[in-house]
Amino acid sequence: MLSDYLSIAIRSLVKRRLRTYLTMIGIFIGIAAVVSLIGLGQGLKDAITGQFGFLSTDILSVQAASVSMSGPPGAGAPNPLQRDYIDKIDRISNVDLVFGRYFASTTIEFNDKQSIEFALSIPGGDKRKPFERMTNLKVQEGRLLTDSDRNSILLGDNYHNDKSYNGGFGKAVHAGDKILINNKPFTVVGIIEKKGSFIYDDAIWMNEQSMIDSGIVGNEDYINIIAVKVKDVSKIVETQQNIERLLRKERNVKEGEEDFTVQSPQKALESLDSTLFAVQLFITIIAGISLLVGGIGIMNTMYTAVLERRKEIGIMKSIGARNSTIFTLFSIESGFLGLVGGIIGIILGLILAYGLAFIGSLALNSDLIRANVSWWLILGALMFSFVLGTVCGVLPAVRASRLNPVDSLRSTK
Amino acid sequence: MVGIDEINYAMQNLMHRKLRSILSALSILIGIAAVFALISFGSGLQIYVDDIAKQSGTDKLFIQAKSIGAPGTDDTFYISQSDIDFVSRINGVKEISGMYMKPAEIISRDKRKYNYLSGIDIAKKEFILESMAIKMHKGRDLKKGELGKAVLGYNYQFDNKIFPRGVKTGDKVSIDGQELEVVGFYSLVGNPSDDANIYITKEQFELLYPEKKDKYSFVMIRSEPDTSPKAVADKITEKLRKHKGQEKGKEDFYVQTFDDAIQMFTNILTIIKAILVLIALISVVVASVNIMNTMYTAVLERTKEIGVMKAVGARNSDIIFIFILESGVIGMIGGVIGVLLGYLVASTGGAIAAGAGYAMLKPAFSWILIAGCILFSFLVGAGSGVMPAIRASKLHPVDALRYE
Repeated sequence: MLSDYLSIAIRSLVKRRLRTYLTMIGIFIGIAAVVSLIGLGQGLKDAITGQFGFLSTDILSVQAASVSMSGPPGAGAPNPLQRDYIDKIDRISNVDLVFGRYFASTTIEFNDKQSIEFALSIPGGDKRKPFERMTNLKVQEGRLLTDSDRNSILLGDNYHNDKSYNGGFGKAVHAGDKILINNKPFTVVGIIEKKGSFIYDDAIWMNEQSMIDSGIVGNEDYINIIAVKVKDVSKIVETQQNIERLLRKERNVKEGEEDFTVQSPQKALESLDSTLFAVQLFITIIAGISLLVGGIGIMNTMYTAVLERRKEIGIMKSIGARNSTIFTLFSIESGFLGLVGGIIGIILGLILAYGLAFIGSLALNSDLIRANVSWWLILGALMFSFVLGTVCGVLPAVRASRLNPVDSLRSTK
Repeated sequence: MVGIDEINYAMQNLMHRKLRSILSALSILIGIAAVFALISFGSGLQIYVDDIAKQSGTDKLFIQAKSIGAPGTDDTFYISQSDIDFVSRINGVKEISGMYMKPAEIISRDKRKYNYLSGIDIAKKEFILESMAIKMHKGRDLKKGELGKAVLGYNYQFDNKIFPRGVKTGDKVSIDGQELEVVGFYSLVGNPSDDANIYITKEQFELLYPEKKDKYSFVMIRSEPDTSPKAVADKITEKLRKHKGQEKGKEDFYVQTFDDAIQMFTNILTIIKAILVLIALISVVVASVNIMNTMYTAVLERTKEIGVMKAVGARNSDIIFIFILESGVIGMIGGVIGVLLGYLVASTGGAIAAGAGYAMLKPAFSWILIAGCILFSFLVGAGSGVMPAIRASKLHPVDALRYE
């Protein structure tokens, strides 16, 4: 029975080939636009999310509040974090390790060219190894820093690759090279593996003490960010509250008026995610308008089809076809229009997304431009185009099913 | 020759196939509405930028210390008073003023917020306000050397914008622990960050933050009327570099003309606008396919009619005209309603944005845009009708008459 419906529907579509093509073009342009834009947006989101270093679930980060969007963590906080919080937080139960980190901008000069970049501190002593493990810090050339290194630094991959490094020293930096940081001579002991993240790839990494000694850190009592590793992840919320209570007392602020934040990195990412999501949603809605227009095209085509085949419908009814049969027949036809349009649209969208991402990443030399079309997106688009086709066919199908057999038989066309 | 009869005939056909015409018009109107709304937002933003440029004038330049964050958040590099004095003596510099900037904590009625604090030189007040394109809105301005007083950005006046309760002149606020009296408010800039600024005298700033004394993060300059700001910028870059004993390409500051800054913003704006409009245009393409579809169907349905018309003397060009006119009118109806819908969408969106503090997102509707959108939709409709119309005109009259 169903196969009969299908073959009738397909035959009618094939018969009006031009109209079927034109109707499907409407759908597949829309689906291709939506699939490729969501795919590119998802790729961008992944890339940006990937920029944020370590994201273990057992880490809490502490920052002083500042005006939003002012730059690196802790930059310009009116009331910065004190260095002595580190030891105090360390005494809280369930706290495994506490790292304080400095972030500061400095000049870097090599091959007689200078630029301004940011330096990050690496904690020393028995915190060095766990820190390296946590951040997955590995060198591609040379070695990592040790406690005895004084005037030594590690550099991110972008300094090693003179093409991608913005500004550019015009010459790649290698392990063993001499370099000026804040106008003081340093030796590059290692180049960090490429991570595809500016936090790693653009940064200058140095021992805490050398960062203080070379005058890059303005005031060593003020720290930019404190990272806390907890022992038992299941008690992380409790630990977070304990840290908050401690800092409220230290900084003399009331609950609800904290001038600092204690949060897991995932939490921080969630707010970024929601911004990206809003942008993606906006673009998708604009692209989705074309799908709506395509749906109207299907409706139009189906109304025309009903009109043309009145006689046919009359004959079917007079030999016993029920209203529901006619309805099903036309619904299948319009659903089919949507589905096939959707399939072509997805193929086109995939080509478009990956093609654009490829061209874009070559042209702009950026890791941020990539596409990620998930199976859910493909499945969703397919479902959506089928549903759209069917829904847009409902009104015409209802009209077809309600035709009076006698009148339809009498109609000329 | 084409006459009133042909036009009448085309209109009658559209009325006759009412449902189909409406659906085709509906498909193009949605796309036109989206394009119209996006462009009106874009040009509104452009007008906002041009307005600022006009108010603050294009004779302005800025020197900014290099940093990796926003100005004032990082004082690794700064511009000192002696640098400013040096620059003031350069030919082509008419007026100059350094500005302190720093994120600060502001407390009003026990509620705490973090916003930018600027320390300004009141002797150069008019010049500074002109550069920032703001005026006094309420209360009075700061006086030279005045301590214990502050002027706040526009948004502080209102409930639930920055603080749950709006601040009034005469109120006390605490800034990084120092109690100050609010004496006035500046006018609306149109973005939430600038409208949340706090202004104090440079003397008060130095008193509050002795460690920041003589470390300016931002310097404003007005060039002489008959010089090009670009040339002055280049001269300042070169001379200040030598003055600070820095080599070319290793400056810890940069000089930007107002034009450059505006230009950069305008370029980004244009790119975003172009991408969004391109995406919205996809739906117009789909709509044109729909119209083409409708017209092919119309040709098929009216094969016999076309045969009759040809038999009584209609020329191919007459048939083409009728069908192109039909599809063009579908497009135009869609365009007119689309512009109306787009106007509604953009006005509503603008009102929502203004409520959220982004008064700069105000759509601008020009007659050119309205006429352009309608003309464009007519052309899209007419263009989509070309191929079906040609097919109609090429029908052989005898075959067409025989067509069932």
